[in-house]
Amino acid sequence: MKFGIFFEISVPRPWEAETEYQVYQNCLEQVRVADELGFDQVWAVEHHFLEEYSHCSAPEIFLTAAAMLTKQIRIGLGIVVCVPQINNPIKIAERTATMDLITGGRLEVGTGRSATWTELGGFGVDPDTTKKTWDEFVRILPKMWTQERFGYEGESFSMPQRAILPKPLQKPHPPMWVAVTSPGTEIDAADRGLGSLGLTFGGFAEQETKVAEYRRRIKYCNPVGSFVNEQVNTVNFLFCHPDNETGVKTGLRLAGTFNYMAEQLLAARQAYPTRSYPNLGLLPALRRESTAPGADGGAPEGTCIGNPERIIQVLKNWESVGVDRVNFLLNAVETVPQEEVLASLRLFASEVMPKFASTRPVVSAGAGAI
Amino acid sequence: MPLIGTLDVSSQAASAPLVLAPNTEPWELPGAEHLQLMFEIDDSHMVDLLPPALHPTIPPTLLINVLHAPKSSVGQFTLAEVRIGCRSGGRPRAFLAQAYCDSAPAVTELRTRWGYPVTQAEVVLDPQHHQVLARVTLHGKLVLDCGLKGPEAINGGDIQYLPNMNLVRIMRNGAEAVRLLQVDADYAILKADRGRPTASVFVPEAWAVGGATPQWPVSASYATGTVTLPRVRYLANPSLRPLEAVEAV
Repeated sequence: MKFGIFFEISVPRPWEAETEYQVYQNCLEQVRVADELGFDQVWAVEHHFLEEYSHCSAPEIFLTAAAMLTKQIRIGLGIVVCVPQINNPIKIAERTATMDLITGGRLEVGTGRSATWTELGGFGVDPDTTKKTWDEFVRILPKMWTQERFGYEGESFSMPQRAILPKPLQKPHPPMWVAVTSPGTEIDAADRGLGSLGLTFGGFAEQETKVAEYRRRIKYCNPVGSFVNEQVNTVNFLFCHPDNETGVKTGLRLAGTFNYMAEQLLAARQAYPTRSYPNLGLLPALRRESTAPGADGGAPEGTCIGNPERIIQVLKNWESVGVDRVNFLLNAVETVPQEEVLASLRLFASEVMPKFASTRPVVSAGAGAI
Repeated sequence: MPLIGTLDVSSQAASAPLVLAPNTEPWELPGAEHLQLMFEIDDSHMVDLLPPALHPTIPPTLLINVLHAPKSSVGQFTLAEVRIGCRSGGRPRAFLAQAYCDSAPAVTELRTRWGYPVTQAEVVLDPQHHQVLARVTLHGKLVLDCGLKGPEAINGGDIQYLPNMNLVRIMRNGAEAVRLLQVDADYAILKADRGRPTASVFVPEAWAVGGATPQWPVSASYATGTVTLPRVRYLANPSLRPLEAVEAV
């Protein structure tokens, strides 16, 4: 099992002149420290207009800065919104290839479609179309990266033949993932040979079922890329502290704050009746279930908060249900002071990470082909 | 933390419905037809239409709901509501600004049992095959002319209905207290359409929404089925912050 960190870049009100600047600097420092400590991946989302919850509208720029501060950590762009009103697929291919070059082949590309009316409505997107455009995009991106010239006539996007440049450093191309929030998306991921980038915090039982189905289906997949990226990433909260009670208390505050902010968003389904969004996307109910206090009044079973011993046990459970990687949310609207976030990272790296080193090789699919 | 409302409800409190028994029995309305329109409104009204117990949605939203109940214990009636989309804590809700109903007995039921700020007016729901129209006329003046255009069939389960937060007076320890009463109606939908929302006439003063008007269309749905107004389970103190405001009945 390997570990990463995951950024929404949430910015608390009041928004003073340097609030966003300070949050971005804190995040960059967290990436630098995570790299030094041996974390494997850093991911940053693409969100637009989501006040306080996420000010991460240009993750490729944030991640490029992160890459320049680091040496080893893999750079996860994700998810990039595969909707033509928000991102032209040519631009996605060009930007990601450039990132792969300047990060020295460290890029991972997450794909998705956005789940809020706030974002879709802001860009004038018909929610009915996003699953379809995502499916088109993930099929053409690998061709844009690998073919000398690329031309295409499709439903949501067409172009005459052109050389899309530059090409990625990783050959044949960077590993591709899809954000898995809606039930059934793990099947979409498996059928296309994409990595499952879990963005919810469901408990073990929920995830075990999803992982098992993903592993079963991907054996028979028709990969959209040049290789199958069979990996399961999940997201979790992290607050690691020598004193379990303190760790749980702070971790619950972090999780509760994050969930409260997420619940303020106007989900696509809440605003627009459509089969395209069978649930609330960001899954407030699942988040509540998995971050509410556990049966004994303490931490919920699947959440990585508390002392190192507790977190090790939680992660062993995640490992046993088939999860390859866990990406951690470290903060929410700066509810945890930066020095405590960094101390948590360091304690996790010294006490928890060694228990999982080399227990299971994780395929870094594209990198291996360089 | 998220924005919260700034509406001072003290001026509205005196005229708010008095609900003596919030744990009223459910009221089933079979064969009901329900038009729901959602619009975005100008962000200058993001917080001033909601009390401090509620968070605004981002973007701020206004909902128009028109319900025709062909059968009820007090006979048929048609009810029109204008609501502001919000969150009570983390829960999606809609704050009821103003309602009109065409039946005096239904007005009494809705005011006294669920605290609807409703008065009598001419309310018409006019479903057609190519559109669904709704109109409200108050003292001879048209104050709402809206509808759904271009209907297409959908699964009723795809429609989200937000529970109401109605400003009411209740009795607490022998004295009147102002609360938001959560009306979480149940919808058993048999048939549903969606389409484009329109609002050619909307008089903000008639709907107690300041100068807010439906600005940017979001969605429209029209559904038929059984609507049940529930036994009330939750109240909220409108003056407290969202996480401190909610009370069980």
